[in-house]
Amino acid sequence: MQDRLTAYGLMLPATAVFLVFFYVPAMYLLYISFFHWGILSSATRFVGLANFRLLFHQPLFVHSLVTSAYYTVVMIPATVLLSLGIALLLKDGLARRGGGIWRGAVFLPHVTPIVATAIIWIWIFNPHFGLANFVLTSVGLPALGWLQSVHWALPAVMIDSLWHSLGLYVIIFLAGLASVPRELVEVARLDGARRHQVFSRIIWPLISPTTFFVTVLATVSSWQAFSQIYTMTGGPHGGAGGPAFATTTDALLVYQTAFVYGHFSLAAAMSVILFGIIMALTLVQRWISNRVVFYR
Amino acid sequence: MAEIQMRGLTKRYGNETVPAVDGVDLTISEGELVVLLGPSGCGKTTTLRMVAGLEQPTAGELCFDDQVVNDVPPDRRNVGMVFQNYALYPHMTVRRNLAFGLQARRTSKEEVARRVDAIAELLGLENLLGRRPKELSGGQRQRVALGRALVREPSVFLMDEPLSNLDANLREQTRLELARLHSELRITTVYVTHDQGEALTLADRIVVMKDGRIVQVGTPDDLYWRPSDTFVAGFIGSPGMNLWTVPWTDDGEGVSLGRALWLPRDVLPALEAIGPTVTVGVRPEHLACSAEGRRGEVACRAELVERLGSHVQVHARLDEGGGDGQRLVARLDATTGVVAGRDLILSAPLSGVHLFHPVTGRRVDTGDHLAAVDAPAGLVGVGASHSSLSGMGRSATGLRPRSATARSSRVTVPVPTGPPAGAVRSGGTRVDLT
Repeated sequence: MQDRLTAYGLMLPATAVFLVFFYVPAMYLLYISFFHWGILSSATRFVGLANFRLLFHQPLFVHSLVTSAYYTVVMIPATVLLSLGIALLLKDGLARRGGGIWRGAVFLPHVTPIVATAIIWIWIFNPHFGLANFVLTSVGLPALGWLQSVHWALPAVMIDSLWHSLGLYVIIFLAGLASVPRELVEVARLDGARRHQVFSRIIWPLISPTTFFVTVLATVSSWQAFSQIYTMTGGPHGGAGGPAFATTTDALLVYQTAFVYGHFSLAAAMSVILFGIIMALTLVQRWISNRVVFYR
Repeated sequence: MAEIQMRGLTKRYGNETVPAVDGVDLTISEGELVVLLGPSGCGKTTTLRMVAGLEQPTAGELCFDDQVVNDVPPDRRNVGMVFQNYALYPHMTVRRNLAFGLQARRTSKEEVARRVDAIAELLGLENLLGRRPKELSGGQRQRVALGRALVREPSVFLMDEPLSNLDANLREQTRLELARLHSELRITTVYVTHDQGEALTLADRIVVMKDGRIVQVGTPDDLYWRPSDTFVAGFIGSPGMNLWTVPWTDDGEGVSLGRALWLPRDVLPALEAIGPTVTVGVRPEHLACSAEGRRGEVACRAELVERLGSHVQVHARLDEGGGDGQRLVARLDATTGVVAGRDLILSAPLSGVHLFHPVTGRRVDTGDHLAAVDAPAGLVGVGASHSSLSGMGRSATGLRPRSATARSSRVTVPVPTGPPAGAVRSGGTRVDLT
């Protein structure tokens, strides 16, 4: 009994924080998604699924879902491939020549505030004096409008997001690669396997739990992408999500609907849908992982 | 099968001043099973990994059949290797583990299936082919690892402490299995272990290593009966050889070592060459209880008696005269009835006495005056010591057959008080030393 009380006592602070700042607001969000509710209004009225029906008649909401999906579909493979590639480089090649410095350099952007990295990339993507266009024109390619272009604004945001988040995923992959026993790679080489065979048939299956974990993290963070888009495409002066809503993702639209236009019930309904999408994708990934991920 | 030659093979890691492997010269004949034996950190695994191609030598040459292979990658050396922890691919079934090497070399499907089935039959793995490594016992995993290395029909077979993860019974069974496999397949094999029992029972030749260098190369009998120095003497045998350094004096009839041990005068030239003291070595199993107070016997006091079933292991302290209070271990017959705290008189056959330089530790060449003597004699006497040796399955004098007299002497026999010059008397048997 004493032990049980001690256990509950130790759990209490964390539980309280989660309750007050996560579960209660989340439940309340679910509640107001079925109501007509205003932050300054006392006239709360039950509307059932009306908020949800209204959303699917809003072209901007559907557009934001498509944008978020596009963002996620590009970001997941880019994140996995780039972070795994860098991790392999750090482990095998660069590790012998100042590995610690390289690891630090790769991880540094992740510990830099996302707003700061966004501002750096705003400069880099400046169409007139930015580094990106300087590099492009130096190799004979045409300059791009980047954040001012409907076609290139979202890729520009993706590049910033990748740059900011890769460090974390590289560290996770390095940990995954370190867990592959060296003897397995050596015995595969003795068995006559070439480098690509060693990777595809030994290393890749053995780090599949790590890949799955990175994929889930990248999926969730892609659907929730907000700060970098808000900072790079508009900031506090308005206009975030542009040009012409090209970078308006679902998470950004939730924010704008609630705190710019004051439609909290609609924003709550959007959040519920976003939650449902992320949950569904995670379950699908889990279902797939049970078939392709190998747990030792 | 390939012949392996190492010429001045050296491995140095980074900027370390002490090399891990230091100028190893060794030739391993086709079909031979050579065991690299030594304590942890002696360089045996590094040597093995250089043979496999997993480590690049810093200096020297490594040849397979006279072809230098220093820069040949592991996949082109046709080497099979069994790792200490087996290194089975955990995500593959036993069949896929066995087939992986063949598939990587683009062997036809029919040939892969044929060879996997053949090796599974050879190693008794037929019923395990569909299982994954985590569903196998330690012994089964070990057999799969062997099978995976053998299925490619390598010209060199390398084993890095393959039995160390098995329990004692399984280790013995698998050791026999390895010996059987080697005698059937005759693949050139390099086997790394720190377990001298494995080395002595499996090897055609043993290479004893220390601090990255080879200390001695020889057959198991060579190492047991003619250790090149005190390191090998102490390392081979369980427990290792008793070694103690004593002054020697010529008493006209023989040579006294300390005040108890006694040798024939024929060893005098060798002793005069090394100075006033000598390191004497006697294996615990060559000591036996003897009659009390005779010349040439070792007086000591039993401090601890370990009962090991067929025999007892006695930890004793030499009396002042015999070896300045130094400790010794004796492996005696279980029926001896020794108890801790009692005084004890021990004797050993001349062939079981080894002399070493007191400073360098190198073996003193006695011109076979000690090693060649078959009969128990001199500082000793006693067939009882031989009775313990007979349990080891080797002749008491190593490569030489034992005399009928010695073989039959199982109880304490008359111990000489001093033999005539040039001869040693034992149990009424006169043996010429010259």
